[in-house]
Amino acid sequence: MAAVAEYISRNSPIHRLNPLTKMIWALSILGVGLLFNDYRYLLALLASVLLVAAAAGVLRSLLPAAAGLTVFALILLLIQALFYGQGQVLFYLVPVSNRLAVTGPGLLSGIAMAARMMALVLSFLIFLATTRTRDIVLTLVEKLKVPYDYAFMFMTALRFIPAFFSEVRQVSEAQQARAYAVEGWNPVKKIRAYAPVAVPLVLLSLNKADQLAMAMETRGYSGGLRTCLREAKMGVADYGLSVLLALLLVGSAAARLAGYGLM
Amino acid sequence: MQRKARIKVEKLTYHYGSGQPVLKNISFETGKGECIALIGQNGAGKTTLAKHFNGLHRPSSGKVYIDGIDTTSMKVSELARKVGFVFQNPDHQIFHDTVAREVAFGLRNLRLSRREIEERTAAALEAVGLTEHCRTYPFNLSKGQRQRIALASVLAMQTETIVLDEPTTGQDFRESVQIMEIVRKLNENGHTIIFITHDMSLVARYARRVLVLCRGEILADGDVRSVFAAPEILKKTYLRPPQITNLARCLGRHSIPPDVLGVRELYELLVKMRSEKIGCCS
Ligand SMILES: Nc1ncnc2c1ncn2[C@@H]1O[C@H](COP(=O)(O)OP(=O)(O)OP(=O)(O)O)[C@@H](O)[C@H]1O
Ligand SMILES: [Mg+2]
Repeated sequence: MAAVAEYISRNSPIHRLNPLTKMIWALSILGVGLLFNDYRYLLALLASVLLVAAAAGVLRSLLPAAAGLTVFALILLLIQALFYGQGQVLFYLVPVSNRLAVTGPGLLSGIAMAARMMALVLSFLIFLATTRTRDIVLTLVEKLKVPYDYAFMFMTALRFIPAFFSEVRQVSEAQQARAYAVEGWNPVKKIRAYAPVAVPLVLLSLNKADQLAMAMETRGYSGGLRTCLREAKMGVADYGLSVLLALLLVGSAAARLAGYGLM
Repeated sequence: MQRKARIKVEKLTYHYGSGQPVLKNISFETGKGECIALIGQNGAGKTTLAKHFNGLHRPSSGKVYIDGIDTTSMKVSELARKVGFVFQNPDHQIFHDTVAREVAFGLRNLRLSRREIEERTAAALEAVGLTEHCRTYPFNLSKGQRQRIALASVLAMQTETIVLDEPTTGQDFRESVQIMEIVRKLNENGHTIIFITHDMSLVARYARRVLVLCRGEILADGDVRSVFAAPEILKKTYLRPPQITNLARCLGRHSIPPDVLGVRELYELLVKMRSEKIGCCS
């Protein structure tokens, strides 16, 4: 959980790329992923995303997140396989009464959906893992002309996730140390039993928001014209890659129009 | 006659996730009724080590025994009956609308009778000096007072061992001393105490044994006097003995022992020395 949506410091070529290039990459993955629905294309896309993660040296750190995603992928797969409803029946989930048929095309389209979801989410996580927050903000504001307030809000929300998880851990540790244990299967009891963790968390979060606002004001937030100390330069590799990615996207769209990659 | 160890740590190694080990091959034992200070620079691993005593961390390798039982086989909520833990930040635990209810939370988890809960809550609040605030909303109190709520909520559970992670941070001198006096009383009543602190004068005043941690290893383990008398070792983890011990060390050439811990003690030594000198001269 700790590594989700957090920068992971490495010195890989991917890390050195301009944030804009990586943003274009993630968007290309999104575009290509949505264009096709053939499972082979989408599995290849997922494989390419994993290769990029490996090249950036963040594959191992992202594995827990990827493992978490597979749960959702399996649910997607199951739903898709069950409700597709066309084609030859492969087997029944409830064999005795021939209920819940799984069809061949249904299974394949389920795989496609799962691979697409994993590729899209992982590409975004890789982007976050290989790019410093301040560089993302810089690019959003300087290059893409996003209003600073929105860029800042977006990044703060992202930063909040890992901090929140670490707080969840600390609070539940503190309550466990006072002999607190969530017991039994009664759902009403269970929900009430979360109060000892949920209440301090809400209070801490409100408090944090308050402090953040104060810290921002004392450091001159919205105090007028902003200038930047650093500048994110686009290198040769950045331009080259961006052009390649653009070509890939156009090529994919053309292929799709020509009828490839559909099922 | 073998004294049974309250906490026994055997070749404990621990790392967070797949990172570098934070604790390396640590072994020690504590007997019943000891009062131990755990010291070392920021990030030395003190909190990490202490969290092994109530099962919040499980050893990556090695063993931790509480009263002879391996902690790996026990839940944290079970271990909480044996080891109380006062955390660095009280705001991670406070969620009730009155101070008294907050203190009673652990007792209700222990499923004590209502009368017992009321009695113990009252006694714990009395001990930390918050009796008049028993119906106050905790967040209307100062941070220092909330720290004492956290302390009371652990006191009330009457565990045999109590671990305190920097119980005096953010407290003024008077409140620090008050808290440490409570700790001393607990120790006199037979509780085993382990406290983490960065304040060497508190160590000198209240601990009998010191464990010095440095980058996950035990640098020194022994009597407060003997540890403070070897400042070269302490220096490795960026610690210095209390000023009074340093002064005594500087005076050492004039037959003052180098392991003085208190102002009173040094004063008495000086007075005695003067009278002896006068005695020999006249
Ligand atoms: N949840 C965590 N995940 C990864 N590493 C951690 C985590 N908590 C602590 N560490 C690392 O473990 C090491 C020891 O931390 P620990 O909190 O035990 O130190 P400490 O001696 O209590 O320091 P302090 O005096 O600042 O409280 C530090 O280097 C820290 O970076
Ligand atoms: Mg600590």
